[in-house]
Amino acid sequence: MNFFSLISIEIKKIRRSKIFLILLAPVILMWLPAIINSGKLTKIQDISILPAHNFFIQGFMGMVWFMIPATLIICTVLLTQTERLNHSILKMLSLPVNSGLLCLAKFTVLLILPAIQMFLSIGVYYLSAYISSRMQEYDFVLPLSYSLPAIGKFYLAALPAAAVFWMISTLIQTPIFSAGLSLAACVPSVLMINTDYWCLHPMSYPFYVLMIEYGKAAKGVYETSIDWLPWIPAAIIITGVCLIVSCAKFGYKERK
Amino acid sequence: MVPKIEYKKLKRTGYVPAFLLAALLAGAFPVVNMAVRKESFLSLGGEPLSVLLNANWQMMAMLNILLIVCGACMMYHTEYTDNGMQKMELLPVRQTSLFLGKFLIASIMTAVMLSIEFSVLAGCAVYWFSDSRLNPMILICHLSFSFIMLLPTIILMLLIAQAFRNMWISLGIGVILVFTFSILPQEQLFFALCPFSAPYQLLDNVHADGHVGLFLEIAALETLLFALTEFICLKIRRNFS
Repeated sequence: MNFFSLISIEIKKIRRSKIFLILLAPVILMWLPAIINSGKLTKIQDISILPAHNFFIQGFMGMVWFMIPATLIICTVLLTQTERLNHSILKMLSLPVNSGLLCLAKFTVLLILPAIQMFLSIGVYYLSAYISSRMQEYDFVLPLSYSLPAIGKFYLAALPAAAVFWMISTLIQTPIFSAGLSLAACVPSVLMINTDYWCLHPMSYPFYVLMIEYGKAAKGVYETSIDWLPWIPAAIIITGVCLIVSCAKFGYKERK
Repeated sequence: MVPKIEYKKLKRTGYVPAFLLAALLAGAFPVVNMAVRKESFLSLGGEPLSVLLNANWQMMAMLNILLIVCGACMMYHTEYTDNGMQKMELLPVRQTSLFLGKFLIASIMTAVMLSIEFSVLAGCAVYWFSDSRLNPMILICHLSFSFIMLLPTIILMLLIAQAFRNMWISLGIGVILVFTFSILPQEQLFFALCPFSAPYQLLDNVHADGHVGLFLEIAALETLLFALTEFICLKIRRNFS
């Protein structure tokens, strides 16, 4: 079996999991307060930010600092638990398939699910920006050339965190520890991005990218350019180590 | 009897160690914060406990809520894997008392967790703010207020967890609720009173607004309401399964 047929099998397995609704719900919920508060945004004068940028950044703030990592955790739980139920992982491991490849196929599905959520969030963003523009008679809609790269960057910045969560869930079999530990790891990211060690904490990467966008839009809020140098090597090393460990250890408990 | 059975079920799921670990993790926030930024907090003035809570409680409360979400999912995950739920239905035990047993255990563990967190806070207050003495009564008041604010969240989360067979759906709904209530404006009294956002409230701020009685009453009402909803759910479910 090649890699692509493995991925298509993994997608078939989660077809009836109703994960789509869980991906969609936060995307819609996060824009409701933004639409309600849009009237206030046109009146803020004290920081030099355009209301349209403020609308975009404030709307994505909650999503990026908490919901993107949390979605990754929920998807990890989905991918691991569907197979542990009824011991179907034993059947998968008995097939003539490289278990490392199987692990990578599952990880790819883990990356596809938040990508779907990102596309949904683009759609809902434009819808809510349109509604707010009609309500406040102010143009909140930003061009696609701004929003697409920004959302793409949030997504790419979340990949190292996905690898970390995936490693935690393969190493720790008890669901409460793996999910709880991953969720607890997301909480301090607000503190972490203000320290010099933020590049060691992958869960705060998306929030860092958002704060850079905020700094670009409003002068003086945060730094305006990304520190590529310690970040990219650190992110690559963290992702690589986590993927290698999880591929090597995938299914070790079932094989014992 | 029933709480004992429930406790036995949780023995090998890591439920108790998870709560203890989370308490230590949450307790690390004020310690690290004080160790790193000692001067800025010491210069604030005021009651040491209030300073510490104002600086750290948002994060600690979020950790507590997330752990309660995970814990509730775990409790029902053990029931639904290998059809433990159906076996329990055969036993001469009331379904409602099983639910209340789970609620009791979750509340006790939450109380233990909060006690650890508040003792760490008290330790910080005594160690760093050495000039003022700490009143144990105030500490107990804060602790019990935070505990009562968490009760509706615990019971609502158990209600959600028992409704869904698959762990990721209940975990997903729980996490989405945590997220939604964290972005709603907490200044508005209505949103502050909701489960999932009441645990962020501090006794000092609520007391300053004169809403302490209201918060306690609403928390008690919500707890009763969710328990009643659960009893009705169990009655309805019996006709369909």
